[in-house]
Amino acid sequence: MNASLDNSRGNTTVNVLLGVVVIVMLFLLPKFVESTYALHIMILIFINIVMGSSWNILGGYTGQYSVGHSAYFGMGAYTTMMLMQFRQIPPWYGLWAGMLAALVIALIIGSICFRLRGPYFVLASIAVAEIFRVSALNLKDVTNGAEGILITEIPPLTIGGTVITDFASKVPFYYTGLVFVLLIILATWLVQHSKLGYFFQAIREDQDAAHSLGINLTIYKNAALGISAIFTSLAGSLYALYVGFIDPSTVLSLELSVSIVLICIIGGIGTIFGPVIGALVLVPLSEALRSNLIGESLISSGLVKAESTLGHFLTENLSHAHVLIYGVLVVVVILFMPDGVLGFFKALAAKKRKEAA
Amino acid sequence: MAILEIKHVSKFFGGLAANSDVSFEMAQGMIMGLIGPNGAGKTTLFNCITGYYPPSRGEVVFDGRTMNGLQPDAVCKLGMARTWQKVRPLAKMSVVDNVMVGALCRTNSLKKAREMAMEQVRVVRLEHRADFRAGGLPIGERKKLEVARVLATQPKLLLLDEVMGGLNPAESEEIIQLILDIKRLGITQMVIEHDMKAIMRISDRIVVLNSGEKLAEGLPGEVVSNPEVVAAYLGSE
Repeated sequence: MNASLDNSRGNTTVNVLLGVVVIVMLFLLPKFVESTYALHIMILIFINIVMGSSWNILGGYTGQYSVGHSAYFGMGAYTTMMLMQFRQIPPWYGLWAGMLAALVIALIIGSICFRLRGPYFVLASIAVAEIFRVSALNLKDVTNGAEGILITEIPPLTIGGTVITDFASKVPFYYTGLVFVLLIILATWLVQHSKLGYFFQAIREDQDAAHSLGINLTIYKNAALGISAIFTSLAGSLYALYVGFIDPSTVLSLELSVSIVLICIIGGIGTIFGPVIGALVLVPLSEALRSNLIGESLISSGLVKAESTLGHFLTENLSHAHVLIYGVLVVVVILFMPDGVLGFFKALAAKKRKEAA
Repeated sequence: MAILEIKHVSKFFGGLAANSDVSFEMAQGMIMGLIGPNGAGKTTLFNCITGYYPPSRGEVVFDGRTMNGLQPDAVCKLGMARTWQKVRPLAKMSVVDNVMVGALCRTNSLKKAREMAMEQVRVVRLEHRADFRAGGLPIGERKKLEVARVLATQPKLLLLDEVMGGLNPAESEEIIQLILDIKRLGITQMVIEHDMKAIMRISDRIVVLNSGEKLAEGLPGEVVSNPEVVAAYLGSE
């Protein structure tokens, strides 16, 4: 009866097969897809899945709603970039340093902020992320301040003298993103199917009850935050390398923290695939609105004349209102699908099955 | 030897003494009834014993060890577990998963924990509900779930806070039988209860609290005939 804990073993084989097929197809995709724009969208989706799934371990499973995850994202992005640009340390070493830095910071923040519960924890998490943003902005000697850090060149990845990749196209980023996605999904699965998952969910459902059942709240909340921070940092490192430029107002912004939470809320929190669905919905939606795909396609298909009032509205007004539309759509989803898109369709399927029975 | 010794425990909230100089002992295997009018400090005493509140004064000794300064999780690991007056099911988890959380306090293996949990689910006779969401259970079954979950932590001493509150007579009777079953397993119990008939039946001894102080202690028969106890419950003449 519990969707978040695997009780039904009946469809496992089918699901595993389906998963393998999807993974193989994703690995083969760059061989067939020439469009750099399509790859760009896929890479953004991957980064968003990793961000969302990382948050999901803390927010979805453990019930600790951090709205300051940009701190860990920025920690990964800045550590990798600073080591590469200022110390000439290649990013595949730098991202480990980023993960370690995020973990250390997370444990420090956690041991302080987890004394607070509910909304107070949310506020504290926002405050901490703001501290990092303002620090990065003002420590000009270390972080380049508001100017940000621009990649001049990513060194080619070589193993034993042979060049694996020179990061010249989007393809290496695509594969890196895909591997990170598989890693976080595996990590989430492992968490869910272990003692950790049970303890995390017990803490989410009722902290006092969990405490009375022998669960050390400090240890397990910090464990959840630690895992979450490590993978968020990974997403941050990949983002920085892919986009090639970071500054405090992008990788350490409150906006980023909120969008991380949104991925999970839209997709469905506390499930392995919720954030995947969330990213699959939000990234294309935001891209379509930003580039005014809907308006353009209506006009180019001849349904609406470009010089008509509606056409004018679509090209001139609507394209500037993409953030507004995005916001409205998010509110609609939250209002009508409180368990997220995944939860909504699961409930729908369950209802259908009930009617059929 | 006493399994639990409560030595001069006081708990102040600001100027209010919720517990004041409460002392008593519990012998291994007994059922101790803890009664008193509303606001007498029964639940506060539970919270002091199990580590939710540090006692302002006094000491709680369980199994020869002082509990002062220990957190609830450590207290539970040492073998003292409590239920809650207001039931706290882990609503989105299934019944057996709820009980597994308790069992995981003693084992790291999910498989082992599931076996241990099913055993306790059978003890409280909820096996037909094992895969139901805990949040969807009616109150009577929630109370049983609460008991199964603490039993899974393998306690030596169980503190039950109004497990019969809000139940109909048939459900109460089931809980009474359950408490007596648990006694047969050799687990010591302290029971807070408002239903006087029930508490008289199951308790080996009774402690009466009133305004935070211990008013009386003794066999059930002695306690009900104590004029001070009668006055506390019904008002004096």
